[in-house]
Amino acid sequence: MSLFSGLFGKKETSASIARDRLKLVLAHERASNALPYMDEMKSEIMEVIKKYTQVKDIHINSQSNQNIDVLEMEIILK
Amino acid sequence: MGIVITVTSGKGGVGKSTTLANLAVGMADEGKRVVAIDFDIGLRNLDMLLGLENRIVYNVIDVMEEKCNLSQALINDKHSKNLYFLPASQTNDKNILDKEKVKELLEVLKKEFDVILLDSPAGIEGGFEHAIAYADRALIVSTPDVSSVRDADRVIGIIDAKSEKAQKGEEVDKHVIINRLKPELVERGDMLNTDDVLNILALPLIGVVPDCDKVISSTNMGEPIIRDDKAESGEAYRRISKRILGEEVDYLDLSVKKGFFKRIFS
Repeated sequence: MSLFSGLFGKKETSASIARDRLKLVLAHERASNALPYMDEMKSEIMEVIKKYTQVKDIHINSQSNQNIDVLEMEIILK
Repeated sequence: MGIVITVTSGKGGVGKSTTLANLAVGMADEGKRVVAIDFDIGLRNLDMLLGLENRIVYNVIDVMEEKCNLSQALINDKHSKNLYFLPASQTNDKNILDKEKVKELLEVLKKEFDVILLDSPAGIEGGFEHAIAYADRALIVSTPDVSSVRDADRVIGIIDAKSEKAQKGEEVDKHVIINRLKPELVERGDMLNTDDVLNILALPLIGVVPDCDKVISSTNMGEPIIRDDKAESGEAYRRISKRILGEEVDYLDLSVKKGFFKRIFS
């Protein structure tokens, strides 16, 4: 970084734009791809529940706080 | 017992096979018995990078289908008695790889070699899964550009999900290799720097390879650049090879060297 741009605040460079765009797109993609086993797990859980009661659908949401990852499951019965 | 290292990338054309060829030579030169396997079924590549394309008789699929012995298919490198190569088949059948057979082959190779390097196909199709399934370690190659980093991130997630090690609750050791970095562009703020890429991918670094014209001529000749003592990229590969084997090696200084006045007035 040259003296002038250093003095007058941070100039936006193409690299910093690339960094911000990447962070944004990955935050979105990670949330949707984070659990590749989800579909399989869902159908297996469904099978187990069907043994006991009638089930219509299962929704699983994943959330992460700073140090805990949570799977939230909602089972909708028929 | 040897270890299985998969070299992968997500996006194609980032220098994955070139990296693998160089690291294979590098580790062989360090005295390890190395076998490089081209797992990019249908698209044979690694043979030309190693300059061994004229010696191919059998390929990795022939071995797995027991059309030949392993020793008939293994090709010894021209220069190093420690380095062997197992070529990809050129079949159009993408689904020809069988998970159990891949495992069997790797188990046999682990007894013969110290390092088994797998060249994974780009993308996330079947062949990729086979290349990653039994990996002990993964090296993720990315160039410092948005599409390559994005695809690398995707692939890292899949390694964690699909590898046998991860399914057993263990972790595949993962490192990033940043390839084709141009220090002048980084300095100008026109290319993502090493820290940017590592922060985004949240993985440790194992090497940065500067962009280097000499790589093209070395590829033309089928002589990995690592054998060129004067090339900066060759030096980068030598250092990465040592780091993979557990040695602590300084990183190459890739800052742009310029004078005091130029630094102030640029």
